[in-house]
Amino acid sequence: MILLEINNRIIEEALTLKFNNAAAGNKPEALDITIADFDGVLYHISNPGGDKTKVQVSISLKFYKDLQEHGADQLIKREYGSFLTTPESGYNVSIVFDLEHLPANRDEVVKKAGLLKRNCFASVFEKYFEFQQREENSQKRAVIHYRDDETMYVEAKKDRVTVIFSTVFKDDDDIVIGKVFMQEFKEGRRQYQQAPQVLFSHKEPPMELQNTNAKVGDNIGYITFVLFPRHTSPAARDNTINLIHTLRDYLHYHIKCSKAYIHSRMRAKTTDFLKVLNRARPEPKNVEKKTFSGKTFKMN
Amino acid sequence: MSTTLQPYLKAVRQTLTAAICLENFSSQVVERHNKPEVEVRTSKELLLTPVTISRNEKEKVLIEGSINSLRISIAIKQADEIEKILCHKFMRFMMMRAENFIVLRRKPVEGYDISFLITNFHTEQMYKHKVVDFIIHFMEEIDKEMSEMKLAVNSRARISAEEFLKRF
Repeated sequence: MILLEINNRIIEEALTLKFNNAAAGNKPEALDITIADFDGVLYHISNPGGDKTKVQVSISLKFYKDLQEHGADQLIKREYGSFLTTPESGYNVSIVFDLEHLPANRDEVVKKAGLLKRNCFASVFEKYFEFQQREENSQKRAVIHYRDDETMYVEAKKDRVTVIFSTVFKDDDDIVIGKVFMQEFKEGRRQYQQAPQVLFSHKEPPMELQNTNAKVGDNIGYITFVLFPRHTSPAARDNTINLIHTLRDYLHYHIKCSKAYIHSRMRAKTTDFLKVLNRARPEPKNVEKKTFSGKTFKMN
Repeated sequence: MSTTLQPYLKAVRQTLTAAICLENFSSQVVERHNKPEVEVRTSKELLLTPVTISRNEKEKVLIEGSINSLRISIAIKQADEIEKILCHKFMRFMMMRAENFIVLRRKPVEGYDISFLITNFHTEQMYKHKVVDFIIHFMEEIDKEMSEMKLAVNSRARISAEEFLKRF
């Protein structure tokens, strides 16, 4: 599993179960699941008002206000139109499905529900991709505080869109491993011409962010993606959004995997060393000896 | 570079074999106590001259002997950042399990990455030539392990970057 999935499997499976249940004509059961996803996102699947024939899926993102500024509401309406309902208290968006009137294209609807988080993010990107397609400069930079200490900046120019992620490395060793990863990302263009340009800046914000009050620190890194028209074109747009919005989680996931692998190797090597050391101990000798008169006794 | 490895290990092995001649010696300073003299260092006449065997400035071995104990400190080759943190992690991992390892010291000597303390009690319970074998084996394996772990991190980085970028 090298790439992270962008859809939420738990939502998809819960909904598929409910839909199949209803389609088979069984009595619907009560449902209440709270799910956490990357970036502090929470989902809640429940029966609104206790009505077991309806299933409601709500999502809460701490940074929804930032996304709303860039048209998240319109995009959500566009994607989920008929299923939208007033957001549950404490959540930002809610969609509801009626089990008694199942939609014709069940699988597609379930897939769309699993992409709730991705669609919330998509609005920012789509807006800026539009700017670039029309060859305009975006006047303002989009700033999304998608995690407590981490921010994403999006800006469009005539011939490119730059997305900058600021990320915090909580551990010093993470910084070193992170640098190795970013080095490989930077060189990716050599092998794949179609890939976007990636730049990495450690401790200080990159040139584009000078004069903003972007954070500085030993454990802060800035990853810049430069997307060209071939990535922002309507045909490639969805794919680009899918890949970009989970970049930070992808990087940290792989850093953690590396650390876990190193740890298991260390364990294996240590047991190996212990075995070699134990060869230095002589084996305990159990000698049975006999005396002249025939008595036997054991010696340790 | 690797042509210096065998003479280096041979020199370490022979010095160790000579220094590992230990006998029981109760403390001269405190009644009824028996301490490793190389750690306590109270009586100068009980300590042997420390010997440093260097392969280059970064890789060296310090062997300090005494009448009843022997301390071996190893400085491991760390060429770049990632090797430094891997070495640091690995040594810390092992030193936390020093009790299992018997001859391992919980803290390395200043300027080195890992230290072993062998006392006369250890040599009474274990074959001396096998203990020396272990130390030499350790030195060889550490270098191999570090390069393998570094390679693993690098290849993981390359593959994940490739997978990610080729989808654009």
